[in-house]
Amino acid sequence: MTTQATRRDVLKGVGLGAGATVLSPILGSLAAHAAGDAAAANPKRVVFVLQSNGMNPAHLLPSGVERKSANSDSPTQKFTEHSLDGRTLHKALEPLAPFQKRLALVQGLSNKIALSDHSGELGALGCYPKGKVHAATIDHAVAEALPGVFPHVGVGYSDRGNAYCYSASGPGRAVPIVCSPADAFKTLFGSVAAGSDRASFDHRTNLLDFLSDDVKRSRAALAGEERQKLDGYVEAFEALHARQAKLVAMADAIRKNTPKLNEKLAKEATASLTLEAQFEIAGAALVAGLTRVVTITSGGGGQAFGKYPELGVPDLHHIGHGGSYEGKTAEECFVTIRRTHTTLIAGLAKKLESIKEGDGTMLDNTVIVYLSDSGDSHHPTGKQWPVVLLGNLGGKLKTNGRYIDFPFYGKPGHRTLANLYLTLLHAVGKPREKFGIPDIGLKDFDQTGPLGELLA
Amino acid sequence: MRRLILFLGSLCFVAGSAARAADPAEFPTAVKPFLTAHCVKCHGPEKQAGDFRLDDLTADVGKHAERWATVRDQVRDGLMPPAKEQKPDQAKARQVVAWASAAIGTRPARLPNQGNLIPHELLFGTPATVGSASPARVWRLAPPAYQSFVRGVFRERLDGIVSPFALLGERGFRDFADLYSLDEASTELLLRNAALIVDAQTGTEVKNGKPTGRNGSVREFVELMTPDVEPARAKLEVAVQAQFRLAVARPATPDEVERYVGLYQKGAKNTGDRPGAAKTMLQAVLLRADAMYRYEVGTGPAEASGRRMLSPLEIEQAVSLTLGNKRVPPFATALNVASAKGTAAIREAVANHVRVSLSDPKADTERVMGFFREYFEYHRAPEVFKDKPKDFVHAASQLVADTDRLVAEIVASDKDVFRELLTTQKTFVNYTVRDDKKTNRKNVPMQSVPPPPFRKEKGEVFKAGVEPVYGFTDWPETQPVESPKDTRIGVLMQPSWLVAWSTNFETDPVRRGRWVRERLLGGTVPDLPIGVVAQVPDEPHRTFRDRLTVTRAAQCWKCHQKMDELGLPFEQFDHYGRFRTTETVRDTEATAKNVDKKGKLLGPVDKQVRLVTTGLIVDSGVPSLEGAVKDPRDMIRKIANSDRARQVFVRHAFRYFLGRNESLADAKSLQDADAAYVKSGGSFKALVESLLTSDSFLYRVATAAPGGAK
Repeated sequence: MTTQATRRDVLKGVGLGAGATVLSPILGSLAAHAAGDAAAANPKRVVFVLQSNGMNPAHLLPSGVERKSANSDSPTQKFTEHSLDGRTLHKALEPLAPFQKRLALVQGLSNKIALSDHSGELGALGCYPKGKVHAATIDHAVAEALPGVFPHVGVGYSDRGNAYCYSASGPGRAVPIVCSPADAFKTLFGSVAAGSDRASFDHRTNLLDFLSDDVKRSRAALAGEERQKLDGYVEAFEALHARQAKLVAMADAIRKNTPKLNEKLAKEATASLTLEAQFEIAGAALVAGLTRVVTITSGGGGQAFGKYPELGVPDLHHIGHGGSYEGKTAEECFVTIRRTHTTLIAGLAKKLESIKEGDGTMLDNTVIVYLSDSGDSHHPTGKQWPVVLLGNLGGKLKTNGRYIDFPFYGKPGHRTLANLYLTLLHAVGKPREKFGIPDIGLKDFDQTGPLGELLA
Repeated sequence: MRRLILFLGSLCFVAGSAARAADPAEFPTAVKPFLTAHCVKCHGPEKQAGDFRLDDLTADVGKHAERWATVRDQVRDGLMPPAKEQKPDQAKARQVVAWASAAIGTRPARLPNQGNLIPHELLFGTPATVGSASPARVWRLAPPAYQSFVRGVFRERLDGIVSPFALLGERGFRDFADLYSLDEASTELLLRNAALIVDAQTGTEVKNGKPTGRNGSVREFVELMTPDVEPARAKLEVAVQAQFRLAVARPATPDEVERYVGLYQKGAKNTGDRPGAAKTMLQAVLLRADAMYRYEVGTGPAEASGRRMLSPLEIEQAVSLTLGNKRVPPFATALNVASAKGTAAIREAVANHVRVSLSDPKADTERVMGFFREYFEYHRAPEVFKDKPKDFVHAASQLVADTDRLVAEIVASDKDVFRELLTTQKTFVNYTVRDDKKTNRKNVPMQSVPPPPFRKEKGEVFKAGVEPVYGFTDWPETQPVESPKDTRIGVLMQPSWLVAWSTNFETDPVRRGRWVRERLLGGTVPDLPIGVVAQVPDEPHRTFRDRLTVTRAAQCWKCHQKMDELGLPFEQFDHYGRFRTTETVRDTEATAKNVDKKGKLLGPVDKQVRLVTTGLIVDSGVPSLEGAVKDPRDMIRKIANSDRARQVFVRHAFRYFLGRNESLADAKSLQDADAAYVKSGGSFKALVESLLTSDSFLYRVATAAPGGAK
């Protein structure tokens, strides 16, 4: 039997159902604030880095570890593990070497439900088929447990404007990845910036103020429960208005951490410069305490892989089909692009490591989850979806320099990317049974719960 | 049979008292004592058997309509109190049933799938004479209506816009006025969209040293984009008016103009950034509550009864957003003229407008066809993931397109629409065509490999497309075409519907039966009790019908008797929607014997067994419908010919077009709509016209103050 809810509960429930992952963190953060800054006691942070065009499983192989190609036969029959101690990372991951003791290179997880040529799009972080926004993606699901002034920050690079294909706060609600560093900067640091950015911050404050009053006037014509429908709208404007006030209150912290981006904010900046700016913005937002969950993407879904002429790789589709540039093979081009990303990831890790927090550093409380939106290749199989983890999230994850490989798709003990995400949810204190839509090809497999192999 | 007699007996009693509302005074004297005596022991503070508690129920039935409905049904059907307990006095039990029915009827349940909680007889049993009114309300725009709104203000563009609105994921009608409000996440997106739109509306480029409007910008707005010139007040007013017309299809009142201009002035003064302040002002209009919500408060003159008609502006917007997705003033003049002549003239003007719109292929009537999708829900077929079959093509979206086309055909003919939908012999097969560039063949069906006509001389081998699902070996060039005799009829036997109501690997008689129970017979089935894991045993050597006998256990059968036998006739089709005469099951013996020389199992072997397609209609409330049916066609023909099913269809149309469940007070609107449909020979247009000119649609009563009783 269903217990009957009051009308207000129903309204609230519907609101939450549709946008819970963004709404509740704010309520949560207010509660945390009231409870005496619980966030400081549990300052976890999660960063997702999504790169277009597939992640070659071979790039995860450290020296002395061999693995069959997925085409030959199932590369792995059972769970295998190697310590990264004394091994050398693949050239593509070499920039991460300073953090080798904080890495877990994870192979063999599948995400076939999100299978699609070129990009699984929302399926990469959502574990569901592309084409429809079925549910919140993992970044927003995690954000529910890690409240911040901005519950979630999504920034990235794409040559097609903001990307709506990677991140969602609920069913039917794609959330844009802001692909212009100038826009991202304005939203996050505009409150303290001089000049026109400050003006647009003030305009927004005016607008929110005006609208909460305007909606209240519209509400006056209504009585009883109809009024309550508009209450939500009024409350939304008030909450956003309150955020503006919080930003003003945090002005010192924000000012101290405002990145100096100069030419990287230019409209015609190259892909690598844009990414550099976005990594800096994301890092600064974390350090300033504006947010605790960040998604950084490079690519725009579908065939919008991005263009890197400045690195000698103008078209990623070309190398996806084995094409070469200026005498460099496709694989060499892939490594070049990957190194650009791993260098930026290393830079972000280094920045977080430089900030003291409790007995350690900010990096100690962080995990960076690095994967591709297209699984293992340009035309993926979905049967494997390599992931690089950096950081142990305040000791919750076992990422102390490991290479691990799960039984391949269809082999006993096989696990999925959804299981990895369930592990993250478990680690941030928001455990649940299922994530995404189960792969019907794995109906006899356990697609629920976290990966014990990764939990500390 | 005993149950049926009790059921009908209580209905007569209820119908007799339907004219008056449930008397709150009866609650403490008759109802509460009954509950205390017979129910609270197991469903009270100490114990909540079945997770159900009713000691906290109050006379405010609307608050707990679903729990009250459970009480009513259980007592009415003699299922509770259980046999081991003392039997309640039957007269007292009937009084409780009657009271609960009447009380539920005055305040209908709010969720779309709870509309049937009001028994059919109470709405159609006795001729109703008194018109009603809807509560004054606001109704958040549906996602397609928001999209139309954006197109309207964004010069037909949508790039960069994300719809912030979503609908409930549940089955059934999804857009009820009561269900949606705006939360912070949606509001953030609305703000972002508004900024994007206003940037485009105010876009400028420098020409001859002067900033001029760009393609897509609004002249009145561009004039406000000069940073160092304070615009004349008149220009600001013109801009506010222009934005109001675009956003809410009406002029701003002087008070509104004053406030919006004030917003500009404040921004310009605080920041010194005039263009920014002007943009803020323009964004604010786009975010108004009456832009994001349908306002149906009822601002016409009050009648003696206290109800008010919607104002001409409200009617105009309500009608246009009911038939389509655009908020446009399509018949303002006619309405304004009519409103001077009184309510009858207004009604006639609305009727005219609806009639004309429904016959005009260019009019925006998108939502009308949407009704059939949400009523049948065949459009959900692509959501059911299935394995790729070897010898034909499973293309769920094509199946949906075929049924869409069939529905459109029937609605266009506008004769006996409901019966035709259920019983037509016609079908479209793989109807979507394309030109095949490779072979230069025109109008070949989308989903056939290779596209017909087959050029055998060139060695082409037909690999089959979607056609075999419909029972055709070749693609019929003239469509619609008759389905092979005695195989399938109507929408419920279209492959799209059968797939939508199936699971990944199997058919789904239970939910199909529930569909028939709720949407054709107007009955109710409680939701699956918490803690019960519904599972049909995974035993491939038994037919699905055989395996489904797990539900015959007493505690399951209480509810499953309302569903299973109505869904089992559809076993005539496999889970891809193919007609079949036998059912495939695992041959255990042959599988065990299927070994190589070393005794290693080589794989499963299947066999064909007899297919049973019978079913049984019980508890329909219509004596002539009761009894056994021999196959799905027999069952559906029988039901399609009944007054009951037609009236239940009318009830569903009411819910979809009015965005709420019906209450007892809507009886006249429903009966009028049914009469209009019958009189017109089954015209769906006549049905819609009647609903949109009904008192329920055109009148409003004020909702109570917070906390007050209704």
